[in-house]
Amino acid sequence: MEALKTIQPDLLTLSQDQFNCLVPYFTVFAGTCLSILLSVWGAIKAKWPVFLVASLTCLVAMVNSLVLIQGTSQSLFNGMMVSDSYSHFFNLIFLGSALFTIFGSFRYLDEEKMQHPEYYVLVLFAALGMMLMTSAQDLIVLFVALELMSLCVYVLVGFRRNDRKCNEAAMKYFILGSAASAVLLYGAALIYGATGSTEIHSVLKFVQDHPQSLNPIFGLGFSMVLFGFLFKVAAVPFHMWMPDVYEGAPVPVTGFMTTGLKAAAFGTFVRVLLAIGYGKGISSAIQSHLHDILWVSCALTMLVGNFIALTQVNLKRMLAYSSIAHTGYLLLGILSGTRSELGFAPGVMYILIYSAMNLGAFVILTLLSSEGDSKLNLHDLSGVARRHPWLSFAMSVFLLSMAGIPPTAGFAAKYLVFYSAIQANEIPLVVIGVLSSAVSVFYYLRVLVYMYMRDPVGSPPVLRVSLWSGLAIASMILITIEVGVLPEQMIDLAKRVVLSL
Amino acid sequence: MNISPFFFYGFGGIAIACALLVILGKSPVSSAFSLVMVFFSFAGIYALLDAHLIAALQIFVYAGAIMVLFIFVIMLLNADVPTFDLGRTHLGIRIVAGSISLATLLIFIWAFKETPLTAPVAQFTPENIEAAGGNTQVVSELMFSEYLLPFELTSVLLLAAIIGAVAIAKRKLAAGRS
Repeated sequence: MEALKTIQPDLLTLSQDQFNCLVPYFTVFAGTCLSILLSVWGAIKAKWPVFLVASLTCLVAMVNSLVLIQGTSQSLFNGMMVSDSYSHFFNLIFLGSALFTIFGSFRYLDEEKMQHPEYYVLVLFAALGMMLMTSAQDLIVLFVALELMSLCVYVLVGFRRNDRKCNEAAMKYFILGSAASAVLLYGAALIYGATGSTEIHSVLKFVQDHPQSLNPIFGLGFSMVLFGFLFKVAAVPFHMWMPDVYEGAPVPVTGFMTTGLKAAAFGTFVRVLLAIGYGKGISSAIQSHLHDILWVSCALTMLVGNFIALTQVNLKRMLAYSSIAHTGYLLLGILSGTRSELGFAPGVMYILIYSAMNLGAFVILTLLSSEGDSKLNLHDLSGVARRHPWLSFAMSVFLLSMAGIPPTAGFAAKYLVFYSAIQANEIPLVVIGVLSSAVSVFYYLRVLVYMYMRDPVGSPPVLRVSLWSGLAIASMILITIEVGVLPEQMIDLAKRVVLSL
Repeated sequence: MNISPFFFYGFGGIAIACALLVILGKSPVSSAFSLVMVFFSFAGIYALLDAHLIAALQIFVYAGAIMVLFIFVIMLLNADVPTFDLGRTHLGIRIVAGSISLATLLIFIWAFKETPLTAPVAQFTPENIEAAGGNTQVVSELMFSEYLLPFELTSVLLLAAIIGAVAIAKRKLAAGRS
């Protein structure tokens, strides 16, 4: 046996190319540190500087990622993480989600008397965790990044500290989330025990080289990692935590969770699935088990999400269940990714579009909510269109997009997902998907009915829309309609991004 | 590598028994002390595995620093009395939960029994580590070269956790004011 070599000099330096790939991550971290310093600097009122630094950080990092998305893939830190189009595509989603969450929260925090600079710091930290999570190639890095993201979100969920419901949500999320993290970590440990490596490509290599040594331990570890991910994306039957948490959390945080968190979990899920050889590389027995687990979860998620959303009167809760339903469509995209010509591109595109429309809807909900997130029931929306025609129009676009009605982006995304599922011969799932999607139209349209066709109750105050929220809503509308009318570009981008995996 | 079964099962048994005491104990103080015992037995198992550095760190950091903090907090908060009562859960739920846990346990036992002991031998055998300068040196060299990213990332994670803790604790003052 050769002597142990622990110091590898080439790992101690970063080449110029490698450094360039890391710029978005460094930017976000530097911005976060700067925000921390500004929040404790007693001489100034921290609100504006921290807000501006945080937004600027997201913008700069977004521009960096936009440049890097064209670049070639680059393995970093001894293969522990990778910088390719895929990771930078997801970085864009996370940073955009963080940016518009910050924009949407600015006045909200003032009104709720929660204007603490830590809020922005935590959003940035969570975004950093998400970015590293989808770039991770190693189960250790993946887990630490996941925890970085989750810890920040636990705190953000409980940010309204004096509110009982909010505390309950944070506590519930913290305990269940930690349990899920523990399951994932134990699964990773078992995989390490069975294969001798935490690096996902080495795991695949070991499995390919020793097909006979595949033992129950490996299967157990693998299923535990899978269940951990399904919990994070809130697929049925691991969805019980979600409605309560979404309802209890402050509205902008809920928006951040439905977009950033979900995209991060899905992005990582797809990367890990592909890297361990989903579709090709591992034995067909594992393939079919994996397929069966995802199949059941996908069917249940679409059905449960849509049917329970029908009965909800609270908008936040309704969108929580609708978010579960969308998880089902996303799972369908992943499930059929290996056997259709478009590959995982429809699924990846769906994540982006879902993030855009949901983020927009939550920025509007943030505006509509009053003290303590009350007044978010359906009848509180009665006649909103008379007072706020533009807000109602924007809300309608987002809701129609979620329902999948042309010419919005939701239609293009749903169409592609179902199309690729038909190619992959998942006919029963497509039938379930289309039918439950038809059901979902009812509860999305009901909001529209309340906004446009009911008389207003009482005389609620006229809302002021801040510049920042307006900016956020306008950009989301732009994406939703642009992609809806001209989806070609987005499909090409998604294809290229998936190819880099 | 040969691990003495007597010590392994001894430490393992103590760890499991004390871990059960942590969650079943009525007073926070006894739970905290059971947790100390869990950490000590883990340290014993690590030492059996020739990971002496980790065993020592386990005692210093977990059993020492973190548990002292725990106990200080319990003392300062005077949380001796249980502050919440979960009440009795429904019998049916208990039976279902119990049988599911039991089934999971059985699956694990089955999986570990079925797995042949052909764990891949990595390069880090005790002899190799000895030749390369011992446990501490190998761990620290690895940490700052091959595992640099997770190591640095962990410090970012801790920083975020501190900010989060401040964000939660600070507003207690604000709550008292309003």
